[in-house]
Amino acid sequence: MARNRRRLNCITPPYILRRLVDSDDAEVRQAALSTLLATAQLRGEREIRGSFTGLGAAPVDGRRSIFDCATGTVLQRATLARSESDAPVTDKSVDRAYDGLGVIRDFYRDVFARNSIDDRGMRMHGYVHRGVRYNNAFWDGQEMVFGDGDGRIFTDFTGSLDVIGHELTHGVTEFSAGLEYHGQSGALNESLSDAFGSMAKQWYLRQAAADADWLIGPDVFTPGIDADALRSMKAPGTAYDNKIFGRDPQPAHMDKYVQLPDTDEGDNGGVHINSGIPNKAFYLVATKIGGNSWESAGHIWYESLRASQAQAQFQDFADTSYRKAAELYGEGGTAQLAVLHAWSEVGIQITGVTTGPDAPETPIGALSRQIEALATQVQAIAADVRELKAKS
Amino acid sequence: MRVTLVAYGGLAAAISLHRPPAVVDSASLAAGPAGELSRLVDAAISADAHRPAGSDSGSAGSGSGRDVVGYTITVQRAGTSSVLKGSDTDASPAFAALLAWLQAHT
Repeated sequence: MARNRRRLNCITPPYILRRLVDSDDAEVRQAALSTLLATAQLRGEREIRGSFTGLGAAPVDGRRSIFDCATGTVLQRATLARSESDAPVTDKSVDRAYDGLGVIRDFYRDVFARNSIDDRGMRMHGYVHRGVRYNNAFWDGQEMVFGDGDGRIFTDFTGSLDVIGHELTHGVTEFSAGLEYHGQSGALNESLSDAFGSMAKQWYLRQAAADADWLIGPDVFTPGIDADALRSMKAPGTAYDNKIFGRDPQPAHMDKYVQLPDTDEGDNGGVHINSGIPNKAFYLVATKIGGNSWESAGHIWYESLRASQAQAQFQDFADTSYRKAAELYGEGGTAQLAVLHAWSEVGIQITGVTTGPDAPETPIGALSRQIEALATQVQAIAADVRELKAKS
Repeated sequence: MRVTLVAYGGLAAAISLHRPPAVVDSASLAAGPAGELSRLVDAAISADAHRPAGSDSGSAGSGSGRDVVGYTITVQRAGTSSVLKGSDTDASPAFAALLAWLQAHT
């Protein structure tokens, strides 16, 4: 009878290999390098150049320039306020944007070996003090723009590291999957910005997934506003509930998917609304796996982003993340099961995989059962031995 | 003349969906501001009329901009209604001037 051999964690995650390349031990370094090369050659799906950019990148890649709009709205008229390696200035918004972009750049470089927004060292341009009492931050296709807020409801948008990460990640998405900004692909685009923005903040704070707040924009409101944040990834639909804003409309499950017109007025089909569903899925994956979100969960999401098509729907991304979890951490392993159950909990079943009591047993599940049975037998034998000793 | 401003989209788009439009009625303004508003409206309508055919009239969801805020300004006067659209990344100078005035006065 042919044996059905399945892989169990036989692939070392690339980020660990990349760390090992920096090892003090020459043998470890060489082994990690060989494995990285062999993996890239065998799979043919990863660009070895991309894996190495972070290691060989000159420190000037992703150079930052912060411009002051001085309440204007025409970016070309803004003046340069601080460049890479410049000393801090007296303008706090300028310094927060400069420092925030630096943290997000380092997060992508150190965790994902990504060299800036386009993975080719693209310069990072941030614009602050845009407009008068402007309540927003956006990515315009080339650069990030931040408003001061009206001071009544919103405050300076450079004050939230996750917001800076959110906007920069729109650029990362644009240069990778290019997810179309409407309907489910648009909601995925928004969700990925939230996920990587939150992850970057957790990474900066060295905070485990279980300890993080999973809030997006907790610092954008003035102190008098009764709201936790713009969105909650942990509990979509609970970020605020007050007279000014109404109740947070984000759903956490496909049953509550909000159908809105695919127009500007309809938020392009609710891209900022339905992002609550994949947001919750990512939170569940990270907390089910445990530890730090930017490790296993982050790598599964990052590789899924890179592997996605521009028109990807929630189902496509869920299926891709399930496949990437197996490729990175083993078929049927803890990470893949976390992905499977996380998507199931938000109402998305992985294509071709059954969950619930009738689900086929995974290799890990079968192994656990065998170990449990063996442990019972060992305990029984030990009891017999004790009994025999007592009699003799 | 009654001018209505609706803003949508942006990082806080979910909040914008719940917020009422801003409305200015020129009848309630002093002569100076009312005249200024009228001039700004005329300029914005004229600029909109001269947009190249087939342009998307300031769509916030178009192009590669993300979290961009879109604006619709509706002007009602003398029994006619004009609808002007723009966004943070796509607005004529005349539209931007009218938008800034409305934001400062509502």
